[in-house]
Amino acid sequence: MIRAASPGVRRILPALALGFACNAQAGPSDPLAWLQRAAQSSRQVSYEGVYVHTNGDRTSTVRVTHLNQAGEEFERIEPLDGSNSLEIVRRNDEMFCRFPDAKTVRLDPRITNRFFPSILASTAETISASYDVKLGKTERVLGFECQWIRLEPKDGMRFSQRLCSESATGLILRAKVLNDQRQVIEQYTFTDLKVGSHVGHSDLKSIFRARNRQWLSDGQPRDEASNAESGWSVTKAPIGFLKVAELKRTLPGRAQPVAQIVLTDGVASMSVFVEPNTAPGRTAEASSEDGTTTFFVRPMGDLMVTVLGEVPLATAQQVARSVAKR
Amino acid sequence: MTQEISSLMDGELDPHEAERAIRACCTSGEAAQKWQTYNLIGDVLRGGKPHPTRTAERVSEALAAEPAIIARPKRMYETTFGRVALAAAASVATIGVVGWIGNQGGQVAPGSVIAKNPSAIQPVSNVVPAAPVDMQDYVAAHKQLPSADLYRPVVNNRAAPASAAR
Repeated sequence: MIRAASPGVRRILPALALGFACNAQAGPSDPLAWLQRAAQSSRQVSYEGVYVHTNGDRTSTVRVTHLNQAGEEFERIEPLDGSNSLEIVRRNDEMFCRFPDAKTVRLDPRITNRFFPSILASTAETISASYDVKLGKTERVLGFECQWIRLEPKDGMRFSQRLCSESATGLILRAKVLNDQRQVIEQYTFTDLKVGSHVGHSDLKSIFRARNRQWLSDGQPRDEASNAESGWSVTKAPIGFLKVAELKRTLPGRAQPVAQIVLTDGVASMSVFVEPNTAPGRTAEASSEDGTTTFFVRPMGDLMVTVLGEVPLATAQQVARSVAKR
Repeated sequence: MTQEISSLMDGELDPHEAERAIRACCTSGEAAQKWQTYNLIGDVLRGGKPHPTRTAERVSEALAAEPAIIARPKRMYETTFGRVALAAAASVATIGVVGWIGNQGGQVAPGSVIAKNPSAIQPVSNVVPAAPVDMQDYVAAHKQLPSADLYRPVVNNRAAPASAAR
């Protein structure tokens, strides 16, 4: 890259080398190192900002504050759109979801890493089993230098991903998901961002808590996320998709708990739900796609299997049809 | 042929295949009609007004005479889900899926597709129209998306001390 050796250039070389060392700890050309750093940064780096999320026809704006202090993660997330307020305050894997209008607080376990910018659920090595990892161009985003990482799927069972990783910290500033026709179907982008020591504990405090004197818990059992045998298994998961959670959970309006199995390839994830089929008229399979969200319903006798995930339709279909009693 | 025309419209054919598809399009009346129908569908989906051709009128007349779709066409969920198959049936896929399932975050009533001529309504044999599937709870359970619109309280509410709720 730096081949010239005229005296003038030689004089600025040390400066260049220093700048390089500061900005690109991941190494200039190792895609897996960049990916690994991007995966870790959303947990290890402290940041505060607003991002815009577009999926299919839907767009939402979210404020996120994240602090890593002595190995513990604290986070506050607040959607800025819509008529109902909501705030999620997280400490490690415990999420307190507060709905000020309903005066309700829900203690939810965190089972998937789907809040931007924490969208990578696994190590670079695991992800590279399902995707070819390449480096793209560098770009200036919100005043930060940003390196694009391209994840090209090795088969047709997942979408193509683009991540823009900030050069100094690795934090993901932008992310795009492309379908097999190279159309962007989902996108995240920070529109405002502060990184590092500017973020303090006061930024993480609930702004709604003081609004109500008493909050109702909605009775969601806190131990729901503990991995419980669901009694079901996915016999033909596409290569690379591994089970990361299995639980029985309560869902609104259901008399019985619903079995849920979560699969991920480190980037894309799917939930498989098994429950009694409460609509006798529903005997045929059905599906829908919107952005990256794919939905596949499969009645199975008295039961109904539902697959929901950020995967192509063929993947959801294959998984739904391979659900079997263990 | 249907697939070729669909692929041609989507710009997916190489020059040789495209030439063959275009030639077939001009020589076969059926293919030419398909080409015009697909363009019409494309125009409508893109929100534009269809071009005022005789084909548009013919399609409108044909649609009015069609029986109303009150159940999702069976072939939609029994065929393989190839990209081309979906592209060729783009309008059917959208109507069928939205009408039957209801989209995310809100419900769409079944039977949103009603042909103009009520007397032509016929039930599709062997397929019982089912209630729309509500995706909301599944989306909330899967993604834990930060969206209050997806939230619905679980029934058995109980009071929690404010201290336990941070």
